[in-house]
Amino acid sequence: MSTTSQSRLAACLLPALTAVALIVLWYAFKAVFRVPSFVFPAPHEILAAAWDERAVLWSAALVTVRGALLGFTSAVTVGFLMAMALGFSPRIKASFYPLILVLQMMPVTILAPIFVLWLGQGLPSIVAITFVIGFFPVVANTTMGFISVDRNLRELFVMCSATRAQEVRYLRIPGAMPYFLTGMKIAGTLAPIGAIVGDFLAGSAQGGVGGIGYMTISYFSQLKTPALFATGLVACVMGFLFVGGVNWLHWRLLHSWHDSMVKKE
Amino acid sequence: MNAGPIVKVSALKKRFGSGPLVLDGIDLEVNRGEFVSFIGPSGCGKSTLLRLIAGLTSASEGSITVEEVAPEKARKRMFFVFQDANLIPWRRVAENVELPLLLRGDDPVHRRECVARMLEVVGLAGAAEKYPWQLSGGMKMRVSIARALSVAPDILLLDEPFGALDEMTRDRLNEDLLAIRSRDPFTGFFVTHSVAEAVFLSSRIVVLGANPGRVTAVIDVPFAYPRQAELRESPAFLRLLATTAQALRAVRPA
Repeated sequence: MSTTSQSRLAACLLPALTAVALIVLWYAFKAVFRVPSFVFPAPHEILAAAWDERAVLWSAALVTVRGALLGFTSAVTVGFLMAMALGFSPRIKASFYPLILVLQMMPVTILAPIFVLWLGQGLPSIVAITFVIGFFPVVANTTMGFISVDRNLRELFVMCSATRAQEVRYLRIPGAMPYFLTGMKIAGTLAPIGAIVGDFLAGSAQGGVGGIGYMTISYFSQLKTPALFATGLVACVMGFLFVGGVNWLHWRLLHSWHDSMVKKE
Repeated sequence: MNAGPIVKVSALKKRFGSGPLVLDGIDLEVNRGEFVSFIGPSGCGKSTLLRLIAGLTSASEGSITVEEVAPEKARKRMFFVFQDANLIPWRRVAENVELPLLLRGDDPVHRRECVARMLEVVGLAGAAEKYPWQLSGGMKMRVSIARALSVAPDILLLDEPFGALDEMTRDRLNEDLLAIRSRDPFTGFFVTHSVAEAVFLSSRIVVLGANPGRVTAVIDVPFAYPRQAELRESPAFLRLLATTAQALRAVRPA
């Protein structure tokens, strides 16, 4: 009891202390080398810039979150269905998997202008870029899950004279869940980054404000360095929210039975 | 129903791929209501023989019939109890027992009644809502047996079900298995390494030799059912134990 609360305290206290130490170092570095704020702003200047720009940053964050959510959701949905197809027939897997790899190898910086050509500047291109980034980890992991079904459990279903559809529903899909969620976790971590990169490469301020990636360019060209750093802060918060969401889903679906969640005494 | 044997194996040979013969010329006829154990050294193909009867693998030569049809076609009358309980980790105990009924398309009301009854029979009524990881090895095996019996099979095939359990738990489960069988009769096929288990449970023991697997002795067990735990201490039981152990030693590779 006391050891767990102690370790929990340490888990909160240690990073907090490290952060304080780093901030002290940060100020010391600035003071000693007299670094100007437009090159390397102090933490309080970043917070002040974030406050001053709160209206712009808030709407930019909403634009990016929308892009990230749409891209993530489509990557997860299409990835799951694709994995199902790949997992159920070795022939389909042999036909498509290498091509998916080709898509995965294509750098986003090359895909971005192509998407802009096809879909135009703005949300559709951003979603497409986020999709491409998140799709592969979902497909690769989930396919593995569909393929690695326990042989004994399959024989159990044979003894039950289960139909193919029953095997899929009661064995393959639940059995693939841990793998699917692992893929989803990776995609969730990449989604805000994908949306920001997408916005950076294909964003536009048409019809209001651009996303976080767009504002990064804007602040950079205006040499508003503290605000530029503030966009980084916003991106961090978004990343944590996404990962938090996926982790919650992971816990929700697996905590009752899966080895990764179950505590053994 | 028909008076002929419920399972008939004749001139059966089995090899995997182009490998050596695993089973060579097995002949066996088993009548309704028997309890037959297969015992023999590792690699004698006793588990393979059980899987052949279940239709989980097919014969290379010779034939097997279950109720006069091919095993795959008789699957609805059989159930298999796997070596390591083989429970589905994401389904609760009750849901595991329910699975064969669900897959067979029984209605929910009947399923619920049947699951409750089966859990009662194996003494796990209190564990219905638990997950497999929360159970001991013996409890898992009980769930596995409850699951197998939920469909009221004519034939129950058990592949070393108690091999991983300690002796006390194993004895207890042997007694319970016979008690269950006296209420819900089935023809039993049982693979084991344990001579005591084979003698206690069976009406007939088939001793298999290895490389390739073949029947080297068949021992009839005359004790009437229901059998109680005390049978294990009776001189007749101990004599038969010795006879079976000798038959087994005779086939042991040098």
